[in-house]
Amino acid sequence: MQKLRALWMRLCGLLLHPRGHQDDFEAELESHLAMHTEDGIRAGLSAQEARQQALIKLGGVEQTRQAYRERATMPWLENLVRDVRYAPRTLVRQRAVSAVAVISIGLGIGANATIFSMVSRFVLRPAPVGDPSTLLSLQIIADRESCCNNFSWPLYQDLREDARSFANVAAYYDLVPASIGGYGEPERVWGQATTNNFFDTLELPMVLGRGFSSNDELQPVIVLGQNLWKRRFNGDSAIVGKTILLSGRSFTVVGIAPAAFHSVDQILHTEFWVPLGIAAQLVPNLPSKAPRDYHWLDVVARMRPGVTRLQVQAEMDTLAARFAQSFPATDKGERFAMEQAGALPMRDRSSVLIFLGALLLVALLLLAIAAANVANLLFAQAASRQRDMAVRLALGATRGRLRRQMLIESTLMAICGGIMGVLLSLGSTRGLSALRLPAPVPLDLHVGLDWRVLLFCFLLSVLSGVLLGIGPAWAAARPLVPNALKGEEALARPGRKLSLRNLLMVAQTAMSVVLLSATVLFLRSLQEAAGINIGFNPRGMLIFSVDPRVHGYTATKTVAFLDQLRERLRALPGVAAAVCTDVAPLSGGNRSDGFSAADQSGKQLPSAELYMVTPGYFEALGIRRLAGRDFGSETAGGPKIAVVNEAFAERLFGETDAVGRHINGPTGNYEIVGVVGNMKSRTLGEQTRPILYRSLAQSVEGDPSLMGYTLIMKTAGDPAALSETVRRQVYALDPAMAIYNEETMEEHVRTAYVLPNLAATLFGIFGGMGVILAATGLYGVVSYSVSRRTREIGIRIALGARPGTVEGLFVRQGIALTLIALALGWPAAWMLTKIAASLLYGVQPHDAVTFLCVPLFLVAIALVACWIPARRAALVDPMRALRTE
Amino acid sequence: MGERADVWQGTLALMVLKTLETMGPQHGYGLARRIEQISGDKLQLNYGTLYPALLKLEQEGTIRSRWGVSENNRRAKFYELTRAGQRQVRKAAAEWQQTTEILARFLGAAGEA
Repeated sequence: MQKLRALWMRLCGLLLHPRGHQDDFEAELESHLAMHTEDGIRAGLSAQEARQQALIKLGGVEQTRQAYRERATMPWLENLVRDVRYAPRTLVRQRAVSAVAVISIGLGIGANATIFSMVSRFVLRPAPVGDPSTLLSLQIIADRESCCNNFSWPLYQDLREDARSFANVAAYYDLVPASIGGYGEPERVWGQATTNNFFDTLELPMVLGRGFSSNDELQPVIVLGQNLWKRRFNGDSAIVGKTILLSGRSFTVVGIAPAAFHSVDQILHTEFWVPLGIAAQLVPNLPSKAPRDYHWLDVVARMRPGVTRLQVQAEMDTLAARFAQSFPATDKGERFAMEQAGALPMRDRSSVLIFLGALLLVALLLLAIAAANVANLLFAQAASRQRDMAVRLALGATRGRLRRQMLIESTLMAICGGIMGVLLSLGSTRGLSALRLPAPVPLDLHVGLDWRVLLFCFLLSVLSGVLLGIGPAWAAARPLVPNALKGEEALARPGRKLSLRNLLMVAQTAMSVVLLSATVLFLRSLQEAAGINIGFNPRGMLIFSVDPRVHGYTATKTVAFLDQLRERLRALPGVAAAVCTDVAPLSGGNRSDGFSAADQSGKQLPSAELYMVTPGYFEALGIRRLAGRDFGSETAGGPKIAVVNEAFAERLFGETDAVGRHINGPTGNYEIVGVVGNMKSRTLGEQTRPILYRSLAQSVEGDPSLMGYTLIMKTAGDPAALSETVRRQVYALDPAMAIYNEETMEEHVRTAYVLPNLAATLFGIFGGMGVILAATGLYGVVSYSVSRRTREIGIRIALGARPGTVEGLFVRQGIALTLIALALGWPAAWMLTKIAASLLYGVQPHDAVTFLCVPLFLVAIALVACWIPARRAALVDPMRALRTE
Repeated sequence: MGERADVWQGTLALMVLKTLETMGPQHGYGLARRIEQISGDKLQLNYGTLYPALLKLEQEGTIRSRWGVSENNRRAKFYELTRAGQRQVRKAAAEWQQTTEILARFLGAAGEA
């Protein structure tokens, strides 16, 4: 306690009144000496002798002062504080250099903060549940497969009963669409259906009320997400116990889940939870609980206290073996896999990690380039400060002290850069969060700065500050003192050819070769993506979705509603066509089924995209008809007909004309009545997929769409302007019908370009910054060398060298460095761009154009960057140059 | 000079505290003289070393200081014990007593053997 108090007092002494203490002590010392002298005189000494005696007895005034000062404050800390206080003054004095350095580092840190905030969000952040470290997500891995599957109900039951390592095992069905009551226009929301121990297993701290209890299994109860509760029910604090309407049915609210919780996996954005036992009321085609081979449930388990992951895995392996013995037909060869709940989904983990890893690598590369640049600047700075340093050394400062001071300066600079970077990334993460991924399900992809990002930025700033400062500090603190005091070059060591500055410059250019190659690749990829034929024409269309089923409509009523709505929409002025499908193309995901030819060949097509459409769909979207006819006025009960795309016909029948053929699929037998052109179904980058279009009227009954139904209106005018009139038509038919996903088809297609756009934008920015930094770096190196050799140039010119020769001297030097950098960077780029292969559209990672253009472009940039200072060299006036200093 | 002992580390603080306890508020010079006197001039004390020691005690909160006027009408800084200081003196004195007793016994025993 006393020690702490003393430390605190010393700190205060240091920071609050550094002078006050000293003055006080001077007075005390004076009074001490005076009293001692008085006593001496009283004892019979002369005044002078007495004073002398007093001083001797004291042990020296200066020594006492020193000892007192050291005790009053903390000398090493005091020195540090003095250096830290001194640093901003230096930085302000070298305004231009500091500004360039702070901006460079700021851009580098900003890039890193942005990318790392994605890493933090998707990789590091634990789920917002009670003790995330003991909550596991379980998956099944089937025989010889690399990834994973969900659980069937019987398997979940067995696991729940038999596994001893878990305190609780819960299951949930991950996406349940519904329309919800409350204030405002009708809205469609997504939720999850869970076993009644779900909230107990998660140990989720509820905002209001409770989770489900054991006798809620078959009760119409509901837990709402905090945001949904605020949005639809104005955050009514008395809502627990009240009844709300969900898809036209009454549910009693039992609790409000915290806003941070969207779903265990942290990717899906769901907003309500209902018991699994009554979910069939909301999802008519909910899978049955009986079959052991239908995998539809996600499972989370809470480990018992004291049980380790290894013990859990061992027990799971034993259980898997036992299940395989008891149920050889379904469970043979299956294993269980687990991971901490809220981690990236196993299926996508490796691709997401590669993507983020590549981005982080690029951002770090950018920071390294910026830091190398700043280091070079500081070298030049050190050269101009050599005299200052030499004077201080001559006056007795230690080299260590000078180095420390320069390191503090560079670190402070980097921290300023870090602050700027964090500010920049505030904007960039907002931009990232605003991006919409093409996906048919609600996703929560919000990215922001959190403490992990801030810590990362701080560490990165300090690290880069120290690293970039260490070289210049080392060099600056050991000038050849006699030279420096005479005003001569004092940093260059005699006989040294390879300077650190040149090395830095080469490294920096080599890195920017890698960056620039990636940039050009992604720009080329974007260019290719823009040229991709999506197979339909998105111009002049408004699309929106409705899901009559969640409003309690039967299949027949749904079809009738959609027919009436289409008729009303068609009748609107300016609407050329109004058609309906289940999911608009390029929505990121879709249903698919396997089909086989119903003839002797029995040829199989393992997977074909499934769409439901109404007559006129192909015409409205501008999809070419190749053979046969369109849908007409089929009845729900009549023989099923289908239209297929070219790819489907070719793969199954080996020819385009498949009209009249019959095929079998899980949803029945279809007669092919027409063949149409190919289109992109899920994503831009996909290989052409076979597609089967079914009649909407014939499919709603047997296989309702969980995504609702999308209406597409074609107009000659501005499609967005139709919005209001369209909504009125929907509400005229049913005022409670929720409208969602309303946008123009062009907007919709644009979201499909989000990945090539994002990659091209990010790499465009990174690559552009890299090139600019490299160019300024080269410029800096050459102009430093020009200024250092002014006298030499003067002599050369005086002796008759032509300006061209002098220019050539410096340009040659710069180009030589660039060529060395290219020789290093080019092969590195060749190897590294392979990682990006999966992110490119229609461009090979070893694209010839890229790998030819980049070096040429860089050499051109280098020529310009060298020529400017070289030209200055050629204009040197020999008279003035020789008279310098 | 040979017989005059240097002040051991840590003992000076206790001497200061004890002196303040017996004499009440006192200035630095007075303390130094008093300590020398009590030691029977057997201590070799640089008066200058007293001040950092006083500062340390003040920082630790066992003494406090204020400016006052000396017996000879001179402005001087007076030190006095705080409550924590009084506790500290009693504790440290007891500990010291015990240590010296034990040590004395050892030395005595060694002498008898």
